Amino acid sequence: MKYMIMMFGGLGATLETRAPEWITSMQEFMMKLDGELKEAGEVVASQGLVDPSQAKTVRFQNGVPVPTDGPFAEVKESLAGYWIVDVSEDRAIEIASQVVAFIEYPMEVRRIMDEPPAPEL
Amino acid sequence: MEPRIEDLLREFAPQVLGTLVRRHGQFAACEDAVQEALLAAALQWPTEGVPDRPRSWLLTVASRSLVDEWRSESARRHREETMAALEPAADPQGTGHRPADQDDTLVLLFLCCHPALSPPSQLALTLRAVGGLTTTEIAAAFLVPEATMAQRISRAKQRIRSAGARFELPSEPAERLGVVLHVLYLIFNEGYTTSSGPALHRADLTAEAIRLARLLHRLLPGEGEVAGLLALMLLTDARRAARTDAAGSIVPLAEQRRELWDAAGIAEGVALVTRTLGTVPVGPYQLQAAIAAVHDEAPAAEETDWPQILALYEVLGQVAPGPVVTLSRAVALAMVHGPKAGLALLGTLDADDRMVRTHRLEAVRAHLLERAGDTVAARESYLRAARMTASVPEQRYLALRAARLHHLAPPADPAG
Repeated sequence: MKYMIMMFGGLGATLETRAPEWITSMQEFMMKLDGELKEAGEVVASQGLVDPSQAKTVRFQNGVPVPTDGPFAEVKESLAGYWIVDVSEDRAIEIASQVVAFIEYPMEVRRIMDEPPAPEL
Repeated sequence: MEPRIEDLLREFAPQVLGTLVRRHGQFAACEDAVQEALLAAALQWPTEGVPDRPRSWLLTVASRSLVDEWRSESARRHREETMAALEPAADPQGTGHRPADQDDTLVLLFLCCHPALSPPSQLALTLRAVGGLTTTEIAAAFLVPEATMAQRISRAKQRIRSAGARFELPSEPAERLGVVLHVLYLIFNEGYTTSSGPALHRADLTAEAIRLARLLHRLLPGEGEVAGLLALMLLTDARRAARTDAAGSIVPLAEQRRELWDAAGIAEGVALVTRTLGTVPVGPYQLQAAIAAVHDEAPAAEETDWPQILALYEVLGQVAPGPVVTLSRAVALAMVHGPKAGLALLGTLDADDRMVRTHRLEAVRAHLLERAGDTVAARESYLRAARMTASVPEQRYLALRAARLHHLAPPADPAG
């Protein structure tokens, strides 16, 4: 089963107020975890998004789509990055827990819907 | 696969494709046929040995594949069945390099870098048709799904056909050579500083860009900008091992352990740029290579010949003016005349629309403010740059610099 593990926030919510030592150890922790997940063949994809301050939101206003600067949600609720892992739900929660224990910010674990079968060629 | 076989295949790929297109036209179909032949060789040669005339073997297999494709709808199945039984065919022309092969490779490069194509398509098609990489390898290098890359390549070939491109040297070669050089430069940069993603280097793409630049330099030894681009790549790539530390963090040039630099790459790059400068009209790649050479020749950061670098940037600013050159010139200016002079020059870029989407202006400003002793403003600039970058290692590096200043500076004294 595939799960998406989502991380939220941006620079302001996670990095801005931290000590240099914390940033360095966080970087080492993330690299180690990424390596372990890849080594185990558990990770399908992982991506990070640029800071939410760089986002644009397109809204439907007065009958037309209107782009505005900034994310849709509060910065601390805005998607910052994700892993897609092919594991059991327990294991996905275990992975998320390891990260949450370190960064002390909440993460969301949600199952990815099954894809329709590939069309016959 | 054995490196020797891989090298052979990559060397012959553009030659075989050139010959086929010259003979039959139809670039798109010929390109598919060459991929089939490369695949067959990659499967057979390691176990059955490299044929006596590998180039003609590939040409024969590719030709049959092409004819099969034309002959019947069931060609694919038929080809798979007969592939294993193919005998290496005799080649009256032998395997030696003929001038025609070299011309063909050049024409192919121009074709793949056709101005009707978008840069991502130019990059992908060049890597496949001239570099001999498979779609799978190219997709992995650009971190996109294989189906996406296959579609991109297929669309690129359609566009070349609908643009009415012919298999011949373009009538305005100088202008088109500029596009080819830019494509090779982008391939190198994509490998060297990935514009996004967690890994700072994708070594395969830099190696491939250097290989293609070498090939082009061999074909056009008198073109100064080709030599300049190759030298620039060699001199930049030579610093690769020192550019990140064990934790994957960026190490700025001034703090790199120079004993990790690749002396052979530096020697080759310096020799190339020295041989070229002054013998041909100077161009931006030669100047950038000369600047890289000055950096690489300094035994320690504090021994860098900044006045010479500044002089070179001033020439570059005249030959190829642009905000990125101004940015680098500001760094050199600050090293020669102090951070305030550099900051003043940066100020001229604030209104430049081309700088709005890059974090580099803020990153440079932050460094100069830090050197000028303005820690509060420096910290703000580092954080602004960190918010703007699309590179994970750069974001962490910038956040780290900001955090250092925050924890260095005592909290503001409310009584003061």
